[in-house]
Amino acid sequence: MISVTPSNAQTEALDLENLSAEQTALEIRDLNLHYGEAQALYNIDMTIPKNRVTAFIGPSGCGKSTLLRCINRMNDLVDICKVNGEIRLHDKNIYDKDVDVAELRRRIGMVFQRPNPFPKSIYENVVYGLRLQGINDRRRLDEIVERSLKGAALWDEVKDRLNESAFGLSGGQQQRLVIARAIAIEPEILLLDEPTSALDPISTLTIEELITELKEQFTVVIVTHNMQQAARVSDQTAFMYMGKLIEYADTNTLFTTPGKKQTEDYITGRYG
Amino acid sequence: MKDWFKTGRPWIWLTAGAVSVSLIAVLGLLALIAWRGLSFFWPAEIHEIQVQASDGSTKTVIGELYDTEEVPMERLAESGIVLENYSEETLERWLLKVGNREYVPLDFMWIMEPQIVADAKPLDVAKIERSKNGNFYGYITDVLEQGESVFNSSPEQSELREELAQRIERVLDINDQAEDLQNSEIGAINYRLNQLRLERRALALKEQLTDSEEQRIAAEEAQLRADYKVLEEELFAMREEASRDSIVVRDMRGMDVTIPMYRVLDVTFPNDMGAIAKVGYFFSQIGNFVSENPREANTEGGVFPAIFGTVFMVLLMSVIVTPFGVVAAIYLHEYAGKNPVTRLIRIAVINLAGVPSIVYGVFGLGFFVYMVGGSLDQIFYPEALPSPTFGTPGVMWSAITLAILTLPVVIVSTEEGLSRIPSSLREGSLALGATKAETLWRIIIPMASPAIMTGLILAVARAAGEVAPLMLVGVVKSAPMLPVDGNFPYFHLDRKFMHLGFHIYDVGFQSPNVEAARPLVYATSFLLVTVIVGLNLTAISVRNHLREKYRSLEH
Repeated sequence: MISVTPSNAQTEALDLENLSAEQTALEIRDLNLHYGEAQALYNIDMTIPKNRVTAFIGPSGCGKSTLLRCINRMNDLVDICKVNGEIRLHDKNIYDKDVDVAELRRRIGMVFQRPNPFPKSIYENVVYGLRLQGINDRRRLDEIVERSLKGAALWDEVKDRLNESAFGLSGGQQQRLVIARAIAIEPEILLLDEPTSALDPISTLTIEELITELKEQFTVVIVTHNMQQAARVSDQTAFMYMGKLIEYADTNTLFTTPGKKQTEDYITGRYG
Repeated sequence: MKDWFKTGRPWIWLTAGAVSVSLIAVLGLLALIAWRGLSFFWPAEIHEIQVQASDGSTKTVIGELYDTEEVPMERLAESGIVLENYSEETLERWLLKVGNREYVPLDFMWIMEPQIVADAKPLDVAKIERSKNGNFYGYITDVLEQGESVFNSSPEQSELREELAQRIERVLDINDQAEDLQNSEIGAINYRLNQLRLERRALALKEQLTDSEEQRIAAEEAQLRADYKVLEEELFAMREEASRDSIVVRDMRGMDVTIPMYRVLDVTFPNDMGAIAKVGYFFSQIGNFVSENPREANTEGGVFPAIFGTVFMVLLMSVIVTPFGVVAAIYLHEYAGKNPVTRLIRIAVINLAGVPSIVYGVFGLGFFVYMVGGSLDQIFYPEALPSPTFGTPGVMWSAITLAILTLPVVIVSTEEGLSRIPSSLREGSLALGATKAETLWRIIIPMASPAIMTGLILAVARAAGEVAPLMLVGVVKSAPMLPVDGNFPYFHLDRKFMHLGFHIYDVGFQSPNVEAARPLVYATSFLLVTVIVGLNLTAISVRNHLREKYRSLEH
C-alpha cells in the first residue's frame, strides 16, 4: 500500500461547491466529449478556483488529459472530436462561436508531457509568444525573458548562454524553459499535462517546487498519474475514472478520507 | 550447403555484390568520360608520315594522330580499297587530323598502316589554331609585316618563335579590344536603336506619336548613329592594325601558305614541349574550353554560353519551382481534408513525375509559348509584332516547363518533411496563442526546409540533365547573346539560350565533322556532369547547414 501524506504547503480548504466569482478561475459545466462514436468524457461538472493548484488524477485512459486539453481547446486539432457542454472563463463559454481560439490559448497556457522547445535559441524560445503579439522592443523583451526565466527557476543556469540553441539544455531544463515560455505571455491559467513524466527525479523535484511558486501568480491545473506528486503540489484533486469525474475535493480530504469506494481503491493502489 | 544458406552469408554476398556492381558502373562511367573528355585537351604529338600510294608515288602527311583501329580486309575490299602485296586478314589504320581545311578535302584522313613508309615527329612542326577553318599544321618559315619579311636573312627557329610570340600577343590584344568594343558599346547602341524603333511603333500604334515625340526619337537616333559611326571607325582601325602581320607556313604539300595573323589564336609546337609545358597547355586548353564562345558550328572553341545557359536556366527553374511546390505541399498536407479526393490529387501529382519529359516539352510549346507567350505579346509587346517577344521559345518558358516537370519531386519531399515534424512542436506553438498560419511560418516551414532542399536537389539533378523538352521550348544550337547582359533590364528572359545537354547532342549528331566532334562530346559530357555535381553539392551543403540548425528533438 502506498502511503500518501499531503504536504504542509497547501492552503486552507475551500468550499468547492460554492465558490464566489472572484475565487473562480474556470467553470466546467456538463461537458461531454466524443471521439467519433466513442464517448470519452461524461457530464463533467467542476469549478476550478483561482491561484490554486488543481490536480487531475486517475488511471491511464480515464480522460484526464482529454479534459485538460478541452480547457484551451487543444482538442480542436482532432477532426473527429466533438465537445458538448460549457467551459466558462469569466462567465463566457470558451466554446462559443465568437471566441478567438488563439487569444484564448494566450490566456490559458499549456505545458506538455515531453519538453518541446522550438529549434531556436533559448532567448527566442521565451519570446516566441511575445513576438506573435508583435512585441519586438528589445529592452522590453530582455526584461520579460529575465523575469520569465527567473519565474521558471532557470535564469541562473542559462543567463550566460541565452543565444545558444535550446536543444543544448537537459530534459529538466528544457521543461523549465517551456514553462518560462508559457509564463512569458502571462496567461491566467497554466495547464500542465504530466509535466514531469519524462524527467528524472531531481528535475521532477525542481519542477514541483516551481509549481508551488507559480500559483501565486497563476491558476495551475496539472494532470499527473503520480499520486504522490498530486498530493505534494496540489490544493484540490479531481479523481477521474472511465471518463467520469468520480470525486473532486480538497487534496487533504481526498487522500485521507476519500468519499467514494473507487477513489479509495485507486489511491491505496488496488488498481490503476 | 544448407547450413551455409542458413548463416545468411549468401544474402550478404548478394547485397554487397549489388552495391559493388552499381559502384563499378558509376565509377566506370565517370572514369570513361573523364578520360576521353580530358585527354582531348592534352597536346597530341604531330606526326609527319610518308605514305606510299598503290601507284608507287609517295606523299607527306602532317597531322595529329587521333585514333588507330584494326579493320578486316573484307570491309576495305567492299568499299573498294585494294592493297597489293598484303595478305593478312586485318590491317591497322590510323586516323590523322591533318587540318588545313581550305587545302584538303577533309581535315581527317585514314592512313593504312602498310602504306606508311616513314613516320617522324619533327620538333619544328607547328600547330596553328585559327578562328576560322580550324587548325593548320606545318612549318613556320617566315613572319611578315605589311607583306614584308621582318627578318633580313632566313631566320633561326628560336628567333622566329620569339618574334612570333610577341606579335601574336599584340594581335590577340587588339582582337580582344575589338571584340569588347563590338559586344559592349556597339552592342549597346544597337540595342538602344532597336528600343527606339519599338518605342516609335508603340506610340504610332497608340496614335500618340506627336511631332515633338517623333523629333525627340529621331534626334536620339541621329545621336546614336553618330556615336556608332565613331565607334565603327575605331573598330575598323583596330582591324586594320590587327591585319598588319601575317605568317608564312609550309604545309604538307610543300607549299608556302600565308596566314593573316588576326586569324591566329595560338601557335604551339607540341613535339617540342616538355612535360611541364604540356601540363600548362592542358590546363590552359581546359580554361579556354570553359570560358570561350564556340566557333565554327560548335566544333571548335569553348562552351561558355552553354554552361551559362544551363546554370542560369536551372537557377531560374529553382526559383520558380520551390515556392510553388512548397505552397502546394503545405495545402495538401496541412489544409486539405484527409479524404479520397486529397488522396486522388496526391496520386495524380506523384504520377506527373512519370510523364515522359518530351510530353512536357510539347505542352510547354503549345501552352506557354504559343498561348501564354502569344497573349503576352498581344498585350504588352504589340509594337514588336509580327516578330514575337515572348511568343517564341525562350529561357523563361524552358525554366517554367522544367519547373512543372520537377514540381512533383518538390511536393513529395516537402510533404515528407512536413509529416516528420513532431506534433508536439505544433501544439507547443498553438498553445502559445499562435494561429495555424503563424505556426506554419515560424516553426513548420523552417523545420521542413532541409526536406524542401532535398526536393530541390532532386529537382535540380533532374532538370539539369533534361534536353528533350528544352529542344521545343528554348534551346538553340547557337545563341548570339547570353540571357544576361549589361543592357537594361539586364535579364532577358525572352532570349533563347544554349545548353550543355543539347550541345552534346548537337556536336555529336548534327555536326558537319563527326570525327572532330567525338572528343568534344566526351569533354562536354564530363563538363555537364561536373556542372550538375557542382549545383548539387551547393544545394547539399545548404541543406546540411539547415539540418544542423533545425535538427528536431530526438525523442
